[in-house]
This record gives sequence, structure tokens and C-alpha cells, in this order.
Amino acid sequence: MALNPWLAISIFALVILLFTIPLLSLPYLIVFPRRKENPFRDMPFESGQVPQGDARHRLAMQYYPFVLMFVVFDVVGMFLFAWGISFSQIPLDSSLVVLIFLVLLGAPLAYALRLALRRENW
Amino acid sequence: MVEVALTIPPDVVFIAFATVTLLAAILALQAKELIYGAIALGASFAGIAGMFILLDAPYLAMLQIAIYVGAVVVLILFTIMLVRREEGEEVTEQRERGEGAAGLWIAGLLAVAIAGVAALAGPNLPSTPPGNALPVSQLGPALVTQYPVPLLILAFLLSAALLGAMMLAKVER
Amino acid sequence: MVNIPTSPADLLPFIISIVTSHTFITIIIFPGMIHLTLVSAFLTWYERKLLARIQLRIGPLYAGGPGGILQPIADGVKLIFKEVILPYKADRTLFTWIPLVLIYLGTLPFAVIPFGQHWVIANLDVGLVFIFATTSVFPSMIIIFAWASNSKYPFIGGLRSLFQQVAYEIPMWISALSVVILAGSLNLVDIVNKQAKIWFIVPAFLSFIVFFICIMAELERLPFDLPEAEPELVAGWFTEASGAIFMAIFLALYLKLYMMSALVTDLFLGGWWGPPFLPQPVWTVLKALVVATAIIIPRGIYPRIRVDMLIRIGWTRLLVIALANVFITVVLVNSGLLARWGL
Repeated sequence: MALNPWLAISIFALVILLFTIPLLSLPYLIVFPRRKENPFRDMPFESGQVPQGDARHRLAMQYYPFVLMFVVFDVVGMFLFAWGISFSQIPLDSSLVVLIFLVLLGAPLAYALRLALRRENW
Repeated sequence: MVEVALTIPPDVVFIAFATVTLLAAILALQAKELIYGAIALGASFAGIAGMFILLDAPYLAMLQIAIYVGAVVVLILFTIMLVRREEGEEVTEQRERGEGAAGLWIAGLLAVAIAGVAALAGPNLPSTPPGNALPVSQLGPALVTQYPVPLLILAFLLSAALLGAMMLAKVER
Repeated sequence: MVNIPTSPADLLPFIISIVTSHTFITIIIFPGMIHLTLVSAFLTWYERKLLARIQLRIGPLYAGGPGGILQPIADGVKLIFKEVILPYKADRTLFTWIPLVLIYLGTLPFAVIPFGQHWVIANLDVGLVFIFATTSVFPSMIIIFAWASNSKYPFIGGLRSLFQQVAYEIPMWISALSVVILAGSLNLVDIVNKQAKIWFIVPAFLSFIVFFICIMAELERLPFDLPEAEPELVAGWFTEASGAIFMAIFLALYLKLYMMSALVTDLFLGGWWGPPFLPQPVWTVLKALVVATAIIIPRGIYPRIRVDMLIRIGWTRLLVIALANVFITVVLVNSGLLARWGL
């Protein structure tokens, strides 16, 4: 029987759940009831030193523009997929619109990359 | 032996997805920890993607998951984590008096308004979803041949959004 | 339409009809749960053995079976009984449930990856975008888990992992766009069927290279190992995971490895097409294992790439090469040079 593919995916998702729920409830059944209290065990791992201080935010900020570019190019990629399916069926001058679309995005992308790669901006 | 059709009624699926979306959206607003709010927002986006699937728009559903849950939620999480408070600081909200009652009043008024409009529209309401589903293979030609100008405007819009966001976040020296 | 039994005499034919139905076989046996569990367990042993031989060691030997092939079972049993340590003030709910979501994200794409003409769980018309949508949820799960660990090594490693995966997803999509233009469909079964005469690696060779590099970055494998840099960050974003939680993450990573290898096979290497002395699914599994070998081997050979160089390479070089290949593909398809292979 040819099932609706979404139904097959839902059944598959359910089966995965049935296989992995026993796996992940094992710690709750076996390990947690046997624990003893020990504050030193639960401290975050810092190779033996006592943990202190906060995480370094400013260093991560220099990669923020790349996440922005990812959002924009996610959208662009999805539109390009929609065009790519039917490329061989439509006449070539219709596809010229997509070429212009890419070129129009090219200059802002280059400028955005230039801004993003210069570290002192962030 | 009795023959039974192996289908789930679409109304049941719709109610399930709608419940997930609404509950996740409410949770996103009410959560104490911002990270829980962001995860709940991702869940409500996934619920909307499910509704797109129900409306015979699978490509749009995948677009929704890839862009919203994949990129927008990442951006929100990244921003939350970089603007962290000191550990141990709690956000205490002052619950105003009558907040719950005001919410119920507004919900009731909205329900009456929708019921009134539906009753007035009466015989003109469609009872089944529109049947002209656009398969994915026709989405591309439609986009390129019928809507070329919106596509080019979209290019400008995306570049403006990108450069604007970068300009706002830039550090001026 | 299913026949529900109404009397005990009908029960056995009902069970037989369920067990031999296409859905049951594909979901449970192949390419479903049993096959996935076996292959990902095999891949853990295979990687350790392969790396050992490259590094002039022997690798796992004593767990039993020829060449220590029962090592994954020993690993699994050990990890189940190991103590699960929740770090101080870590988020217990997120910490235990995110690994489950990660396993989900690693397994769900297999629903649309075909291993043979009919060996597919769900023949989805938007199959390729389904896979890309599920893989794009990975970075958010990683960073949530890193935050939930409430510790500095996972936090830094999680952020690095996020930037790396985000930087290499776009070139991956654009190089898959070349394949979509060649095949004219997002349905993976159609894409493989179009490769009956020529594998897409030939017309889209640059895309293949870009795609291969991008999946090595998505899987966080050397030389893109920075989120897991052992001398620096212990284990990156899953430093605080132990016991069954670590096992779940470990399984999810190897499932993702197999999934990406199978995707490369279906997109570029002709899927199940091969000389008919072996059945079709066997060809797919063999080719996927060859791709997995090609992904594992650089781990023993190359040094690590620094994180800012890594992001630069992803956004400048790889994106440009992928876009160039899209233009080349457009020119090729339009000029009719590929007509003798039916493209």
C-alpha cells in the first residue's frame, strides 16, 4: 500500500520514540536512585581548578554578522531551490530574472563580508 | 475481517497542531527563563509548519522550519546568551491586579466578534479547504514568470535588512 | 485499507500482512531502525579501527569477535551503567531531553533517503529540502545543550560549533542546488533515477568537492574539529555529558555521519546504480561506507583549522565556488551537452 509520505514519516517518528525512550529513561531508573550526595562531583569541569569568572562574551561577538548573513542566505537559498527545480522547463530569459536577483544581492553581500571580516568593527 | 481505512481525520490533526502552536506561543511569553521562551517559540514555529503541511504546501513547511527554527531561533538564542545577566539574578514580575480578568474579557469579546462575523457571512463560508494545491514543480515557474518584480524587490529588501542590522550592531570607533 | 481481524482465526493472517507490508519492513528493518542501529554501531568500531591502522596501532581487539567487532556492545553496556553527573545548577530537563531530540534529528532524515528503487520509507516530493530543514535545526539544539551545561568549556565549544555549522550550511545548499538543476526535482528517488546513465559527480564535480568539505564541517570532523578540540576544550559542547546522555549524543553523531554519507551517495554517486551482480540496496550501503571512510581518514592525517580561518573559508571561498558551479551547471544544461545522458 502506498501510504501518504507524511503518514509514513509520522509512523517512523513514533517508532524512533519507542526505540529511544527506554534508552533515555535508563539513567532515571538505574543510576539516579543510587546516588549519594557529593557537592564536589557536580562542579563544572575545569581540569582541576576551582571554577570562577564568567564566559567570554566579547570574543564571540565578532561572529555575530555571520549569523545575520546566514539568516539572509537561508531565505535566498530556499528561493533558489524553487527556481532550480523547473530550470529545464522554463525558457532561458525567464531564468535571467534569477541571475539579476543574484547579482543584485552580490554587491551588498560583498560589502557585508567586508564589514564582517574586519574584527575591530565588533 | 472488517475493512478500515488507514487515515487520520484532518480536523484532528489540525486541532493537535493548533494546540501545540498556541500553547508554545503562550509559554514563550510567560516563561521565566528566556531560553525556555526561545525553545517554546521554536516549537510554535514547528506547529505552524505542520499546518502548512495540512494545507498541501509541503515546500513552504520545510522553508518555515529551515528559516525560522533553523536561523531565527538561532539568532534569538545567540542574542540571549550574549546578553546574559549575572547568575543568580531573578526577574521578578509584579503581577498587577485584575490582569487575569482583563485577559478573559478580551478573549470573550474576540470570540463574540468572530462568531458574529461567521454568522453574518453564513452561507458564503467555504466548508472545504481550497482544492487548487500548487505542486512544487509549478512554484518555480510561477515565481519567475509571474512575479519577477517582487523577486527583485525582495533582493533589495534582504540586502537592506542585512546591512541595516549590521550597521545597528557595529561598534563605532 | 487494512483488514482488522474480528475473530481469533483472523489474527495470524493480520499479523502476517502487517509484518510483510512495505511500511513495516522499511521502517523497522531496512532502511529503518534495525539497519540504522547496526550500521551506526559498526561505524563506531570502524572509525576506531581505521584511525588505529593509520596511526600504526591495532585498535579495539579484546572485546570479542574477530578483530574486536563486538566493541560497540561493550561500549553501550558500559555507558548505560555509568553515572550521569548533572553539573551544579545545570538545567536538568533540557540536559536529559536534548540528546533525545538530537537522535531524532539524526534519524528522521532517513525517512526520505532511498536505498533502492522501492527501499524508501517515505517517497516525499520535497525530500531534499526536508533533509536540509532537519539538519538546520542541529545548531540550535547544540547551543541549548551547551548553555544547559552551565559550564565554560561547553559554552565556548557550543558557540564555536554554532558558527562553524552555520557558516558551512549555505555552501552545502548551493552545491546541492547544482544537483537539483541537473535532476529537475527535489524528490531523492527521482534524483537517483536520473543518474542511471551518468553519476552527477561528473557534471557537478566542483559542487561535489564543496559539498564534501561542507559535510565534514557539519559533522565537526577534523580538520574542522575546533568545537571538539581535545587539548583545548576537552570535548567541546558535550563536555559535561556522561553515561546514557553521552551515549545518546554519540549515537546521534554517528547517525549523522551515516546520513550525510548516504546523502552524498544519493546526490552525487549514483545511489543504487551499479553492475547488477549485487542487489541495489547493497550498492548504496557500500558506496555510503566508502564515503564514510573518506570522511574518517582525514581525521588521522590533517591538522586542525583555526576558527576564524574556518569561517573565512566557508563564507568567501566555498560560497563562491558553489555559485560558480551553479552557473556552470546552468550553462551545461542549457547548451544540451548533457543530452546524450538524458539530462
